[in-house]
Amino acid sequence: MESADTKKTYGPPNAFDQNALKALGDGQLHSALRNLVVTFGKRRQEAINSVDDWEGLRDRARTIKDETLAHLDRYLEEFAENAERAGAQIHWARDGSEVASIILRLLQEQNAKRVVKSKSMATEEIHLNAALESAGVDTVETDLGEWIIQLACETPSHIVVPAIHKSKKQIADLFAEKIGIEPTDDVAQLTSAARRVLRQRFAEADAGISGVNFGVAETGTILILENEGNIRLTTSLPKIHIAVMGIEKVIPRFADLDVFLKLLPRSGTGQRLTAYQSLITGNKKHSDDEGPQEVHIILMDNGRSRMLAHPLTRQSLACIRCGACLNACPVYQQIGGHAYGSVYPGPIGAVITPQLIGLSKAKQLPYASSLCGACREVCPVKIDIPALLLHLRAEVVEGSATGTDDPAGRVRRKFAERLAFRLFAFTWSSQTLYVWSGRLARLMQRLVVRHGRIGKMSSVVAAIVPPLGAWTAWRDARPIAARTFREQWRDIQQ
Amino acid sequence: MMSDVSQETNARQAILSSIRRHLAASAPFDEQTPLLPQSEAETLAVSSTSSDQSALIERFQRELEAVAGHCVVVRNDREAAETIRRIIDETKARTIALSDSPRVQQITSGLETSGQFLRGADRSALFDCDMGITGVQWAIAETGTLVLESERERHRLASLVPPVHVAILEANRIRQSMAEVLQGINEQTAEGLSRTVTFITGPSRTSDIELTLAIGVHGPGQLHVIVIDDVQQTVE
Repeated sequence: MESADTKKTYGPPNAFDQNALKALGDGQLHSALRNLVVTFGKRRQEAINSVDDWEGLRDRARTIKDETLAHLDRYLEEFAENAERAGAQIHWARDGSEVASIILRLLQEQNAKRVVKSKSMATEEIHLNAALESAGVDTVETDLGEWIIQLACETPSHIVVPAIHKSKKQIADLFAEKIGIEPTDDVAQLTSAARRVLRQRFAEADAGISGVNFGVAETGTILILENEGNIRLTTSLPKIHIAVMGIEKVIPRFADLDVFLKLLPRSGTGQRLTAYQSLITGNKKHSDDEGPQEVHIILMDNGRSRMLAHPLTRQSLACIRCGACLNACPVYQQIGGHAYGSVYPGPIGAVITPQLIGLSKAKQLPYASSLCGACREVCPVKIDIPALLLHLRAEVVEGSATGTDDPAGRVRRKFAERLAFRLFAFTWSSQTLYVWSGRLARLMQRLVVRHGRIGKMSSVVAAIVPPLGAWTAWRDARPIAARTFREQWRDIQQ
Repeated sequence: MMSDVSQETNARQAILSSIRRHLAASAPFDEQTPLLPQSEAETLAVSSTSSDQSALIERFQRELEAVAGHCVVVRNDREAAETIRRIIDETKARTIALSDSPRVQQITSGLETSGQFLRGADRSALFDCDMGITGVQWAIAETGTLVLESERERHRLASLVPPVHVAILEANRIRQSMAEVLQGINEQTAEGLSRTVTFITGPSRTSDIELTLAIGVHGPGQLHVIVIDDVQQTVE
């Protein structure tokens, strides 16, 4: 759901540069992000230390994911078959609108009007709430963080802690306005106010919608992790449970769960295990059992199968949505999630978003990184995010990624580039021309050097020397030395 | 209705063929991609390190308390009943939902407390209960985790909806690791896995507001585990 508020502040992915500038000016955001980095960094390290062979575990997880993705069709069919045999109903959806229409049909069949939702990035990705609301379905997010941003009409700014950008003062004011409590800065009181309001919604709900963390092909089981208990309530109280599952969530064997249950909580929140895990296999076996009457699992593609076409892009599908790369990223640490203009922020978002919505709509995101590699270091499934970012940058430059770029412009750009590099090669292949080009540059730079540095240029000068102009728009360049190494060497020799 | 079904059949075929098409396109690149080192991580082998029971109990208790759970080890049902009475007094619980676990029924039958026991409470009654008492099918010592299986613990909402959860754990159900328990729940049944298997590690919690820990957001704010250690009794 994109609200007027969020839109007013932050633009789409292609407005990343402007978004980042806005975020850099937000002091409250900075203290929230500082808190995130320090707290999660420390907790994660402690949790990792409790595992003997963390590196081996990461390799193991990645091997499992690679094995699954290389035969994704087979494992998906196995998953669907086993889940159906256990009593779940399986649906397939090519994109977000198919997910929404399946859900709306199921709700209509059950005459379900009140929906409780638990946190799911897959449903955020397809803006399911907006689709449900416009169809008149009363939908409430029940994860505390998700509920806060739903009340505020905003979007999540972090995969794991969606409301990390908000201060408790802002949340207290929001609660005072929307649910009429006395403003308080006591987190326990704010939490219990949320519990009180949402309990009522749980008691009345007709349908529950959840995401899925892992789907086990061998047994048709879905696993969902959480800390609050809202997922257990969402999946067990209403008469119908609908789980939306990206097709990349499947893993082969039940025993593989152990690997991911060790990796995900440690990487995500720095816990050795989250408070609750629900393993759901099909539908209930006895009519008087607790739990919903119907269980539906929607297998959603929405651009994922395309990513299988290259071993590098395929790595994006190994992601288990832990958010560790966000916390570790020096870019995310400065600007937070909203600046990315997409539900998936941070390094993994910069990789996934362009592939999901098309590179032409998110051209700037592959550049939203210093390629320092911190994301790759922390990734529990060892996704080579810097390599992926470079791959996407190459596609941006080639303009071949989407076919929507202007082909004539590509030809012109290529001609100009070729000409520039020919000239460069010709000049610097000759010793005489090399020396003279240096002298010429030293002469010319007098026009732009101020206080021994080349700083931001006027637009006129920047237009004449585009590469230097672009460079100095954001940082100073060092001028060419008054005496070159060759000249100094000659002096020493004499 | 027919069109919906055919839409979904089409979607299924379209997704599967898209997967196959794109995997095929990747084949030439795959050959150039080096494989990751194959790892024999600790998790591959399920360590049957079933160390002695008292060590498992000790570890379980320590880990549970580290995540804000309470743990009491008792020797028999009578002591378990006493502990339940004490917790009811301390929490001033008036209505207490009981699960259908035979052990819970056995311990609470004939127990006089200041609260009132409710068997087979339905969904709306549960919302008015102050406490829920359930059994437990497995526990994991390494993480202080309780595991409830729907085939054997059918009234699991008693462990979730009321603000206080009291769990009765038989000491011989404690295993060292998650891997052992996963193997156990996948192997034991001829009729397959339980519909729902729930893992519980400490009380309900959230850090969604400024990463400040708050206990008891949607699930119970208090978790008490009563471990019944029969072995200890026979030793004495």
